Amino acid sequence: MDSNIQLMFYLLPTLAGLLLVLPIGRSLSGPFESTFPSLKSVRGRLFSGLILTCVSGMAVSFQTLWISSKISEGGNFCASNAILSCDDVIGNAEYNVDPILGIPWGGIGAAVFAILLYLAYSSSKEPNASWVAMHLKLGTLLTFGGFFIIALLIYYEFQMEKICQYCSTAHLANIVAFIGFFRLMKMNETKDWENVWAQVDK
Amino acid sequence: MKYNYDEEADVRTTALIRVMALFFVGIMIIAATTSPIATGTKSGERAPTLEGKFYNGSAWTDFNLESYWDSEWEEGDVNGQWVAIEFMDTDCPYCIQSAEQMGQNAYDFGGSNSEWDGAIVNFIASVTELDIQGHDSSRSEIISFRNKIADSGDDCGSSDCGSRPGSAHNFPYVDDLDQDNMKKWKVSGTPSYYLIQPDGIIAWSSAEHQGEEIRNAILALVPRESV
Repeated sequence: MDSNIQLMFYLLPTLAGLLLVLPIGRSLSGPFESTFPSLKSVRGRLFSGLILTCVSGMAVSFQTLWISSKISEGGNFCASNAILSCDDVIGNAEYNVDPILGIPWGGIGAAVFAILLYLAYSSSKEPNASWVAMHLKLGTLLTFGGFFIIALLIYYEFQMEKICQYCSTAHLANIVAFIGFFRLMKMNETKDWENVWAQVDK
Repeated sequence: MKYNYDEEADVRTTALIRVMALFFVGIMIIAATTSPIATGTKSGERAPTLEGKFYNGSAWTDFNLESYWDSEWEEGDVNGQWVAIEFMDTDCPYCIQSAEQMGQNAYDFGGSNSEWDGAIVNFIASVTELDIQGHDSSRSEIISFRNKIADSGDDCGSSDCGSRPGSAHNFPYVDDLDQDNMKKWKVSGTPSYYLIQPDGIIAWSSAEHQGEEIRNAILALVPRESV
């Protein structure tokens, strides 16, 4: 299967997650509300978009880790002479690991998205628990910190004059997750949070 | 109505177990489907990149070591082409002294010698300028050293480059005067030698085999039809 088509398995859920965490999420969730009643509320849509995005982010991070392992074996996955060439970026031994511990960026991404998924998923299951505010703040902080990593990785891509589309999808997932966590954190500070049905059709 | 509070039913535990299970499934899939090889300069590791401009006898053109690799190569296949890299400095006395041996090795194993029935070994010199007083090099000096040009005005060590031992070389000389490649390969001194398999995996390095000649490594490791 073409690597760009395969990328759609991660990109489409991330884009769906983006639509759900944005205020326009209602227009997307409408047809699914009878099957998933939680989508009727803003909080439900935010949690759904966030969980979808974190799962996609974790999966695409695992895929980049897999690609870097395959390249190290001497194989190739998405090599191209065009600017979009994830092999050139992920396979670059100078840039494909973090500069301190030498851990592949894909592995770091998968671990971080797993933590974000845990924070979002546990909060969604017991939204009125006392620890939810802390989980949402932690999620916001982690995804905000991710912006600095994204800036560093984009700088690397500029250095290489190549763009890794798989990495960019993981970057997008971090941005979407930040929006989701930030909106949930803000909502958690209002009284609308506890009265979930008051949010319906808002 | 009486409510029981059960800490073991905390949803965080269930969520953590589920997310961890998902994470470990991902790790297990990667572990089962790949055999990653670290990039480095020790035997068994994948050779780092080596890029720059190289002199091929007529002009300086782009060089990329990766263009030599053949991912389909299998151990024992005599059709694959091996690579021998020498990290050197045109002002380093031992590099000057070993120039004759390098030229002889390149002739013996580089495809010109009919008596050699083993895989071709491509020789490459990566020329740096060590941070030592008197080690001032230039592209002109690299050409004079490689082609053994007499009275060029370039000094290799303290003598004319044309007076170095051995004959002129015909293998590529890569310009690494800025030490980029040398640092990437963590080369501590010159000359340093590496013998690399056709698939890009380092088979032998002088740093790991002190006192051993690259010629002996080639004879021991490179596959031959008669063996």
